[in-house]
Amino acid sequence: MTEHAGRIQRSQAPKTWSRYRFPESLWRFGAVLAIIVFLGYSMAFMNVDIGLLFGALGGLLGVIGTRFYPPDIAYVLDAGYLASILDTLQMSFLGGMAGVALAIPLAWFSAWNVSPHRRVLFPLGRLGVISARAIHETIWTILFVSVLGFGMLAGVSALTMFCIGFAGKLFSDEIEAVDMGPVEAMRATGANSLQVFLFAVVPQVRVAFTGIAIYTWDVAFRAATVVGFFGGGGMGWYLKRNVQQLENLRVGAIILSIIAMVLVAEFISGWLRAAVNRAK
Amino acid sequence: MSATDTHIAGLGAQTTLRRKRQMKQALIWTGVLVFAAWCAHGTIIADTDWSRVGGRSGVLASIGRYMQLDLGLLPELVRPTIETFMMASVGTVLGCFFSLPVAWLGAANVTPSKTILYPVGRFLMVLSRSVHEIVWALIFVSAVGLGALPGILAIAMRSVGFISKITAEAIENIDAKPVEAIRATGGNQFQVMYYGILPQIYPVVLATIIFEWDINIRRSAVMGLVGAGGLGLLFFRQMNSFNYGGVSMVILAILMLIILGEIISHYLRKAVI
Repeated sequence: MTEHAGRIQRSQAPKTWSRYRFPESLWRFGAVLAIIVFLGYSMAFMNVDIGLLFGALGGLLGVIGTRFYPPDIAYVLDAGYLASILDTLQMSFLGGMAGVALAIPLAWFSAWNVSPHRRVLFPLGRLGVISARAIHETIWTILFVSVLGFGMLAGVSALTMFCIGFAGKLFSDEIEAVDMGPVEAMRATGANSLQVFLFAVVPQVRVAFTGIAIYTWDVAFRAATVVGFFGGGGMGWYLKRNVQQLENLRVGAIILSIIAMVLVAEFISGWLRAAVNRAK
Repeated sequence: MSATDTHIAGLGAQTTLRRKRQMKQALIWTGVLVFAAWCAHGTIIADTDWSRVGGRSGVLASIGRYMQLDLGLLPELVRPTIETFMMASVGTVLGCFFSLPVAWLGAANVTPSKTILYPVGRFLMVLSRSVHEIVWALIFVSAVGLGALPGILAIAMRSVGFISKITAEAIENIDAKPVEAIRATGGNQFQVMYYGILPQIYPVVLATIIFEWDINIRRSAVMGLVGAGGLGLLFFRQMNSFNYGGVSMVILAILMLIILGEIISHYLRKAVI
């Protein structure tokens, strides 16, 4: 009797349970294997010693500790350096504002649902946002420095391009998600596309845009800390000078000050965004 | 009569409220514009040597230098392009490995110690995100020397913050019932994680990793500017030898690579979700 019941159980269910059945499990295994093979090949291609990689992790803390510690805090309290922090703040604010101002029309063009001209302006807007996004802010800085010369003008221009790419994508995503009811109502009364944008789209996205603009400033500040490294002015310029002079203790202090300033900026932007959401 | 009165009073209150709000907005806008004007004065007017910029013709001439593409550079572009792509991929995977413990520490419901290790995890997330990738690369170049390795490490460190933050949030939002069910059937800690938590978070986490990989291609293209390998190094060399046509070629290669990355990540995301 018991033997009989046991036999039935064995024949009905497989002995071990696994989450994925045969064809799916094979696909998953193949995908993981392909990724591992690709990673291994990459390591060989780039001449990266895996032993060094894992050895580096252990030794890294030691190296950083002996090289950058103790940071030269007195250096970052110097008046010249504090003025450069103010420069960085100014650059990020101006770049963020110009970027947001330019990103709004581009986002309007590149939002498929309310784009004023789907055949010409839509691809132009998309291209503008994508190319501003595709090129890293440091490369923008180098390019602007080579055209406009060293200084904060190049930094502000580079940050503007960066913010167009960053905010433009978020803005156009936001516009594409609006409620189409008001848009259709405006269109039915014969409004042109600018009127539709101003009176049907903007009231819906105003609060979200404000939040995104504040966030853009936050991210721009993070980028502004390094544009100076490539000649754009601000804190990065001090970083570059001290890196090249191998003043590692000063570099450590500068990096610490960058982290502190970015944390402050993040805190301010979080507080402002919460305030905007409350005032909604 | 009285109803009309209260109605009118209500209207009056509404108008004052509205006027107050308009005043407040006008104040905020004035403040923002004054601040912007001050910034513009400090950065653009006081800090720029306009004679060096050289007017409109000077700027146009400087831009024109970039327009003559140096097609002879094409064969030299192949290897750095592949290297950039690989650096981004390896860096992302390494970043995922680093994110695992950080997410574990920084998720409020699974953290081993809420008073000590939870803040540590949160701090590591913020630290990773607040240091720019160029600064990470500088640190690692000084620690492990030139080559692709510092670039990989810098990208990994920079990715940790975002991946582990999203992962920790996903862990915090899981449904506790499957976890309890597996515990009730006698599953050990590993089985609880593998069968109870992982299936719930992995679509979100995979989508995040793909997103981060896409961004990391952008980042790995500039690692060479501070001594790690890839397209950035070629860019730097072309720029330093004033071969502006070559610079444009490198930028075009970066654009191609990023468009490729965007296409791949689009299809991967579709396959995952």
